[in-house]
Amino acid sequence: MQRILAGLLLILSSAVSAQDVRITPNMAAATYTINGETFTISREQDQDSLLTGEFARTSRACPPFCVHPMSVAPGVETVAELEVINFLTGQVAAGRGLLIDSRVPEWFAKGAIPGAVNVPFSTLDEGNPYRIEILKALGARDTASGLDFSDVFTLMLYCNGPWCDQSPRAIHSLLDAGYPAERIKYYRGGMQDWLMLGLTVTNPGGG
Amino acid sequence: MTIYAQAQPAPAIRKRKFPMIRTVLALFAFAVVLCGFIVFDPMSKIGQTDTATAPEVASALPEVTRAQTDIGSLQDAVALAGADAPASSAAQIAAATTLGGDAGQRILAASGGVQTRTGPTVLTDDSSISETTAAVLAGLGLNTGATAPTDDSLMTQTAGVLAGIRGVTGAPQTAAAPQSALQTLVIEALREGQSDSYIDEIVNAAATEGRLSVPEILVTSDGRVDTHVLLASIVSQAQIANGGAAPVVPEVPTGGSDGVEVRVVQRATETQQYTFYTVNAGDSLGSIAVKFYGSVEHYQTIFEANRSILSSPDLIRSGQRLVIPKLDA
Repeated sequence: MQRILAGLLLILSSAVSAQDVRITPNMAAATYTINGETFTISREQDQDSLLTGEFARTSRACPPFCVHPMSVAPGVETVAELEVINFLTGQVAAGRGLLIDSRVPEWFAKGAIPGAVNVPFSTLDEGNPYRIEILKALGARDTASGLDFSDVFTLMLYCNGPWCDQSPRAIHSLLDAGYPAERIKYYRGGMQDWLMLGLTVTNPGGG
Repeated sequence: MTIYAQAQPAPAIRKRKFPMIRTVLALFAFAVVLCGFIVFDPMSKIGQTDTATAPEVASALPEVTRAQTDIGSLQDAVALAGADAPASSAAQIAAATTLGGDAGQRILAASGGVQTRTGPTVLTDDSSISETTAAVLAGLGLNTGATAPTDDSLMTQTAGVLAGIRGVTGAPQTAAAPQSALQTLVIEALREGQSDSYIDEIVNAAATEGRLSVPEILVTSDGRVDTHVLLASIVSQAQIANGGAAPVVPEVPTGGSDGVEVRVVQRATETQQYTFYTVNAGDSLGSIAVKFYGSVEHYQTIFEANRSILSSPDLIRSGQRLVIPKLDA
């Protein structure tokens, strides 16, 4: 309670900077540090701002750009923007979680959620002979009876949005490899919803 | 003629100033014929090309003129003479007939010339030299960043993913991407500060024993591993990663003494310049790409232009005459 009050005081005193577009009534921005690098997420303050370019499109061909169900697999929690932010400021900043962008590197480079790691869905596919190296980097350990996933990072995966199948595919690949479902989360809204809310992305204007 | 000469003189001939004249004349004629056989040996030794075979070759291969064939055959003969004894009859045929580089290689290929390579056989894999270079540099703790390999292979992507994950988790980057035996060997040697010749030795020893495989373009015409090109590629990539300039296309001397030959062909509307290069012992497709383009990355240009004589980038041989296309500016 004291912390919240202190935080409120801080925000109010630090130049009542008149943020009219806040994330929540109590949160104008979220700041977190991952491995020495500090990120801040806030919202676009221009109230006339509109989506342009790729993410203004409504009607991509299906297949492959089909609407995905809320739940991707049993045991895998589906989350929204506030859970993403809490995940970044909590588990990711504490070194226990990773926000994973499942898209191809070209899309990742055009703009992503700050602090996300690019793990293209294709690299988690069974067909990648080097996949085990990625699983090990995520905390899996080699044992005589196969990989031990007891100490792996909690992952939160996203891609371009509800019409994108890349993070669902990556999640199914992870589950097939033995990754525990309770250590996987799915941000279904993806870049589409993130940008629609005017939340901060890396490389602004690049996409 | 000789039978007649060896027969007893006919009784009809009586008075003779020089009683042995017929025998002497016959022996002289025999000697002349013998010399003729030696000089114009129909069973063919080196030197016969100019009179008989070359025109046929020239007509069979429209792009090869008579003069070019002569040069090619000369270098082919020199190269073969300098090499160890040919390992198979197919190679001996090629050596004896001294056809031009192209034609000789066609005979070799047609007669199963794959086994005629005199050096040890090197295992190749489908990795590219850029992947190998990037992996070695990553192993040495140098991130090539934007100049990382452009091949969109899973290995490259995986390496990028691992670097990304470690960048966030703070795990040490040293246990970099999955390494091949070649990469591990080169990384270790470079860490130890070994000399180029030492690296060449251990890589070739391992390759001979089949302990590692190499990118195809590193296989030389005498069946060794061209570590010089690999090391040069690593050095230049490291320089680029550190903000240095990209390699420039070198000026290649065209004196002809080292196998480089430039020919200008005039057509009705245009004049085109072709560069040819005759493969020397120890050349690899990678080293030839460096020689003409300044970078191994352009080996594909040479390979594509010579598909008719190169079935694979690792199957180049001494004496082959390669077309070197101009790079698109």
